[in-house]
Amino acid sequence: MGSALELDGLTRRYGEIVALDQLSFSVPAGQVVGFLGPNGAGKTTTMRAVFGLTDLESGTVRWRGAAVDQPVRRRFGYMPEERGLYPNMLVGEHLEYLGRLHGMSVTDAAAATSEWLERLGVGDRAGSKVESLSHGNQQRVQLAAALVHSPELLVLDEPLAGLDPTGIDAIGEVLRDLARSGCCVLFSSHQLDLVEDICESVTIIDHGRLVVNGNVDDLLTSGPRRLVVRVEGDRDGAWARRLPGVTVSEVDRGAVRLVLDESVDSDYVLTSAMAAGRITEFLFARRRLSEVFREALA
Amino acid sequence: MSGAVPIVILVAVTLFVGVRLRRRSRPMQTLRRTRSAMFAPRLGVIGLIAGREVHARIRGRIFRVGTVLILAGVAAGIIIPTLSRSKHTTEQVAVVGALSAPLKAATLASAISVGATVQLVSEANAAAADADLRSGRVDFAILDARKLEVNKAIDQNDSSTTARLVQAISTTLGTAEAFESAGLTAAQASKIEHARPLPVTSLQPGSATAVKRPTSVVGVVLLFLMLTQYTTWTLIGVMEEKSSRVAEVLLAAVRPVQLLTGKVLGIGVMVFAQATLIVAFTLGLSKAVGSNLLRGTATPQIISTLVWLVLGYAFYCWVYAAAGSMTSRQDQVQSLALPLSLPIIFGYIMALTTASSGTPSTLFDVLAYLPPTAPFAMPVLVGFGQVTWWEFTGSAAISVLCTIGVAMLAASIYGRAILRIGRRVRLRELMSGAAR
Repeated sequence: MGSALELDGLTRRYGEIVALDQLSFSVPAGQVVGFLGPNGAGKTTTMRAVFGLTDLESGTVRWRGAAVDQPVRRRFGYMPEERGLYPNMLVGEHLEYLGRLHGMSVTDAAAATSEWLERLGVGDRAGSKVESLSHGNQQRVQLAAALVHSPELLVLDEPLAGLDPTGIDAIGEVLRDLARSGCCVLFSSHQLDLVEDICESVTIIDHGRLVVNGNVDDLLTSGPRRLVVRVEGDRDGAWARRLPGVTVSEVDRGAVRLVLDESVDSDYVLTSAMAAGRITEFLFARRRLSEVFREALA
Repeated sequence: MSGAVPIVILVAVTLFVGVRLRRRSRPMQTLRRTRSAMFAPRLGVIGLIAGREVHARIRGRIFRVGTVLILAGVAAGIIIPTLSRSKHTTEQVAVVGALSAPLKAATLASAISVGATVQLVSEANAAAADADLRSGRVDFAILDARKLEVNKAIDQNDSSTTARLVQAISTTLGTAEAFESAGLTAAQASKIEHARPLPVTSLQPGSATAVKRPTSVVGVVLLFLMLTQYTTWTLIGVMEEKSSRVAEVLLAAVRPVQLLTGKVLGIGVMVFAQATLIVAFTLGLSKAVGSNLLRGTATPQIISTLVWLVLGYAFYCWVYAAAGSMTSRQDQVQSLALPLSLPIIFGYIMALTTASSGTPSTLFDVLAYLPPTAPFAMPVLVGFGQVTWWEFTGSAAISVLCTIGVAMLAASIYGRAILRIGRRVRLRELMSGAAR
């Protein structure tokens, strides 16, 4: 599927700090794309740039080949990192109001409000004030606010932060459904395992520059081989740290995750592990997104 | 007259209860649909934003309680003087000895002049009059048309009806005695009593300043209160939209200038609606209870006060909105509120002083043409009848032109500052062309 959203050479400085440095990448339609990067990498600035909320020194944001302007932006949905709703407004009224601001009729906005509140599990809170909702429910309402006008592009800044597992599942399902229906979804998160589950592609930036951009499956199956080995009585993988060409990527309750150089034979690792003690687990593993992330930023 | 007061109160209570009952009996869906209809934009996105603002303010307790308090204050200001005026005093006056018909008539006339009615009580002798004075059955006594007697000595500063009546009757009887001592006939005495002052003519017509002065003061006070209230709403409203980050959500769909304009327009509608309500309520209640508070107040003065309330709000709202966009917290708002309010306070004090003194200075005339102070100064001059229509229009035109300039500057500041969270944004940073 072709690119729907294109960011081309975005540059933004805050005094001496370079937030975006000739950043270019694209987001295809019909996909959920994870937007990753360490704190201060420029994710929020990039998202704001899509909505014209920050002034760029240079660069262009295009939607379906044309420069983005205000009428086009009204067809986008945005959930900022810092949640923003009128605390004293009723939930239903608030969503209808936002739907109308995006050009919906009174009837359509009311119908879409009911539909999204039901779908996100807060249908019974339409008559409640926003401030009376729990943090998790406010999060759901905030997502509904970004979705109420059926956007063509959905940009979400940390939508999963603070949600319980049920909420994460519900939002993950919604995002996948939207992508299946042709919506373009870009969302940032530091919960990389969840991103791995939800997204088809990821884009990783650091210091305002693109570091990695690709399909999740391709990224997870590429790179050096990985082994997970558990040796009875060994808690920190001390035996593995002495092996040449082997890097301990992670130790999780005695299970040591190893990254093997091309020259290292897995039989050599097996032999070394057996020498260290009785082996209770030995398996080849896929790369994790967290490893892709760390290796990309290393 | 006083009978109208319960009727007014009854109508107000009935209206209030009726509205409450109607709201409770209306189905939720209908209510929601009606509220949604309020957002129906006649003016597109700006109308939608303004509609939300109006709706939020009407539903807010501050507006409702504030309006009720203002109306209650106005009602008190109108009704209380009426009640005290309608309290008719009848003074019981003991009379010892004969009181001739002319003296009796003069005594009764003196009573009318101090707003009282006199009931003369004949006493057999001075001792009986003293007894009645001590017991309080009579307020004072006239002894043989030669002397007045009171129970307790009257203080020089006593302004009670009795004190004023004693003073008036003692003067009247003293004059009569003087006429008699001078040997004037009754006809001569009557002629002197009915002497008319010589007519005084003037080269230029006088103003109705004195009559309109109280109304000018009331208008200036209301202008100050309402302008302060609404500009503060704007300041805090913008700051809250910024600090709650809702501005970022809204600005993803609308332009900053649309959001800003919708907000000040919405509050502006409330300004005009509340002011009109107060004026209508004041006029209606004054007429109903026969108050003379607004007696002599020309319609132009009321209209000019309303016009300058709107023009004043239109000028200041942009300034306050821009200032609100530069703040993210309540303490930052407070640090900005005082310097921002200085021109308003200055204009208010100048207008109040001038309205009380009745003599506008040259400086005050100049202030009537400066947009920050014209909302206070011009209605006062209109009240004095010292402004021609073209002077009024000229001042309004200057204000409108300056407001357009201020609005453009405010929109620029707002657009650059509204998404900058954290420390207060300095004007210098914005003026230096810093980007969002």
